[in-house]
Amino acid sequence: MLRYIIRRILGVPFLLFGVASVAFLLSQSTKGDPLSALVPERMMNNPEIVSAVKAQWGLDQPLPVRYVIYMKNLVQGDMGTSFNTRRPVARDIADRLPATLELVTAAMIIGTTFGMGIGLLSARFRYSLFDNAARGFALLGSSLPIFWSGLIMLYIFSVQLKWTPGTGRLDARSTPPEHITGFYSIDSLLAGDWALLGQTLSHLALPAFVLGWSVVGIVARLVRSSLLEALSQDYVRTARAKGAPERVVLINHALRNALIPVLTVLGFTFAYLITGAVLTEAIFSWPGIGSYAVAAARSLDYPAIGGVTIVGATAFLLANLATDIAYAWANPRIKVSG
Amino acid sequence: MRNISLSKNRRRARRTGLLLGTVGTLAFGSALAAQETLVVGRSMDVNSLDPSRAFCDTCQVYLTAVYEPLLTLGEDNKTLVPKLATTWENNDTFTEFTFNLNPDAVFSDGSPVEASDVVWTFERLRNLKGSPSFLMDGTQSIEAVDTHTVKIIVEAPNSEFLNKVSAPYTGIMNAEAAMAGGALADESAATADGAEGWFLENSVGSGPFVLTNYAPEDELRLTANSAYYGTAPGFGEVVITQIQDSVSQAQALETGSIDIAMQIDADTAKNMNNPDVVTEIVPSFNFVYFAFMPGSEAMKGKLTPPVREALTYAVDYDGMIEFTVGGNGNKIAAPIPNGFPGTANLMPRSQDVEKAKSMLADAGLGDGFTMEAVYPNDNVYGVDLNIMMQKLQQDFAQVGVDVTLKPVTYPVWREDMANGRADLTAVYYAPDYYGSGQYAAYFGMTEGSTWVSRAGYKSPETVVNAKEGEIYAAALAASGDAADAKYEELAKELMADNVIIPLVSPNLVLAHRSDIQGVRYSACCNLPLAEISRK
Repeated sequence: MLRYIIRRILGVPFLLFGVASVAFLLSQSTKGDPLSALVPERMMNNPEIVSAVKAQWGLDQPLPVRYVIYMKNLVQGDMGTSFNTRRPVARDIADRLPATLELVTAAMIIGTTFGMGIGLLSARFRYSLFDNAARGFALLGSSLPIFWSGLIMLYIFSVQLKWTPGTGRLDARSTPPEHITGFYSIDSLLAGDWALLGQTLSHLALPAFVLGWSVVGIVARLVRSSLLEALSQDYVRTARAKGAPERVVLINHALRNALIPVLTVLGFTFAYLITGAVLTEAIFSWPGIGSYAVAAARSLDYPAIGGVTIVGATAFLLANLATDIAYAWANPRIKVSG
Repeated sequence: MRNISLSKNRRRARRTGLLLGTVGTLAFGSALAAQETLVVGRSMDVNSLDPSRAFCDTCQVYLTAVYEPLLTLGEDNKTLVPKLATTWENNDTFTEFTFNLNPDAVFSDGSPVEASDVVWTFERLRNLKGSPSFLMDGTQSIEAVDTHTVKIIVEAPNSEFLNKVSAPYTGIMNAEAAMAGGALADESAATADGAEGWFLENSVGSGPFVLTNYAPEDELRLTANSAYYGTAPGFGEVVITQIQDSVSQAQALETGSIDIAMQIDADTAKNMNNPDVVTEIVPSFNFVYFAFMPGSEAMKGKLTPPVREALTYAVDYDGMIEFTVGGNGNKIAAPIPNGFPGTANLMPRSQDVEKAKSMLADAGLGDGFTMEAVYPNDNVYGVDLNIMMQKLQQDFAQVGVDVTLKPVTYPVWREDMANGRADLTAVYYAPDYYGSGQYAAYFGMTEGSTWVSRAGYKSPETVVNAKEGEIYAAALAASGDAADAKYEELAKELMADNVIIPLVSPNLVLAHRSDIQGVRYSACCNLPLAEISRK
């Protein structure tokens, strides 16, 4: 198992190399004027300025030369400087990624906990009132567009009921905790600032719920159907015949086997949300990587597009690895070759 | 380029200033701690925090708070009033301008604002070739007459020069501090200046605030300048926080998370019935327009002046305002905002479909033709360009002209514009300072102008109007009513070009918590933060 994991980890840089190459070549061949973020409109008629800016940003070099320079810098951890923010892309990502990871982690905890709970109870009490209501709740979560549910939730819980604060990671009047991990919840905890921790969690609750609700629907439906299938298997009947309590049958026998497809979905959902939580980030003014990716794509910010692609690819590769490991944990009969 | 060398006395003065500034900061710090924070919500569009490179609405707000130009615009949005320059004068031909600086003015590090700082700032602005560099176009010499007097000579009469030096982009920088950050002002600045990143973390102005933190598309945090020599601002700290859309800004305002929302649209404002929130709808100086591209391959020989004129009669201008901003906007005649010099007597265009049809028939296009409209897929100043172009598509269809809509991202739009790949386009404009000259320079059909290159592409003769350059020069050589008359003449020529057709000047919603006062819209500076306080 350990050898398998090490081998997979060693393969990650090579995969990332491929992804970075494809991202670089695709973005460079996309239609559009990359100078739009660099050269003001009024200066576009000035060839001296245009050529100076091109030289400054390396855009005057042929594509193969640009590619070699980019990859060489990338190997040294330099993703280039963003056309939009004029800061190193690595710094932008380091600033924004913790915000997204904090949000997505919280959303996944909510989505997994509620999704599995609802799926389990729905399977146990199939076709009951609870089953129908829970399935309706889950269906709403996965079918309501986030831009709508987010705004409605904000209106109800923040504007009307005043149960939750407004948008952002913290009240704009507050000072963020000292940067240690970039996760405000962890950093305020490490600083022992309980008031700030409370504020962080209260700001996190609503966006995490909105994002997590969409995960609830996916997980609940999958757990329910997998469980129902598992419950009809011979080994479950055997366990029941041997007098095992229903709770043990459900959790120890059926759920563990039903988890395998769920783990696959959870892994990839987590990875997807790293760059895919754009709408939640926009509505809740959450300064994460999703909104950074959209801004980069809209303005043809090549270095930022490359950086975000690498982050997204890394997330998927790690999620894939974590899922494989979780498979082995969930079902020891699944062996990994190593 | 005049070499910047600091005299011994000045260095001493700077050291003293720095010391005083430090002591002042310590003493003032505890007072500030007790002061409140003003939170402003807006969708940030910052392209830079370097005054010589920045060019955006948020930049105007930031630069006005942190840097001070020589002059500024009064509350009437017309009159120039003193800022760093207490008095100024010009010769009769508007070619020489002399500014006398306030001897009490100091930068945020406590060092005095001197004429050499003005010279350095303006030379950098000119030589950097950034977005606002056009403000220094035509300057022949910029010299420090003495410590507090600056004389600027321009190549040709320019009665608008004083307006230009009221733009926030001309805010004066502490030359010594900026140079220490890698800023250059000489001819090499355009290629060798390396201070843009430094300006994202540092400010070197004499304004009422200083920069404390900038996180792109997240927050811009300012603190009151403890060394400020003028009236202290109403808040010890200002945070401009990123909130993307109008509805989210309205909700944040209602919850009290923010004190001011800058981009609430009129429709959203109507639905806010919160006693703690005040909304006021005021006309803006921004406008959205469409433009014909007679130089495009498909339109050669087709979009002639009479055909362009005919099509302007097809547009339902009143309906457009209803359709795009729910009636919360104004018609605008020429591509110069209402209220700017030369616009008082202009008659806005109106729809006359029959006349349009008749003119098209006379031009041999009675059976209509097809056009492709390429425009940025954006929502600006509350106007969704897609919706606006759909309405235009309907209007043109009435006279048999079939428009294909092609919304694209901004970089694609710019590439298409540079390569004559559109027959029709739509975009927007906001003033950089109070004055009509900027519109003549940008929208005028004079050879080499931005819009001649775009609209005319490889056939500039299809759009060039030689008279406009002459009228513009005459306007710059005049002042007062005479200049207004020239700008009116120019505006009528711009209308007669029938290339740039303004459609909507959307109203602006000033929305803030009811305990906030001093919120106003400025034609030069957008939102002057230092004037805002809590009741």
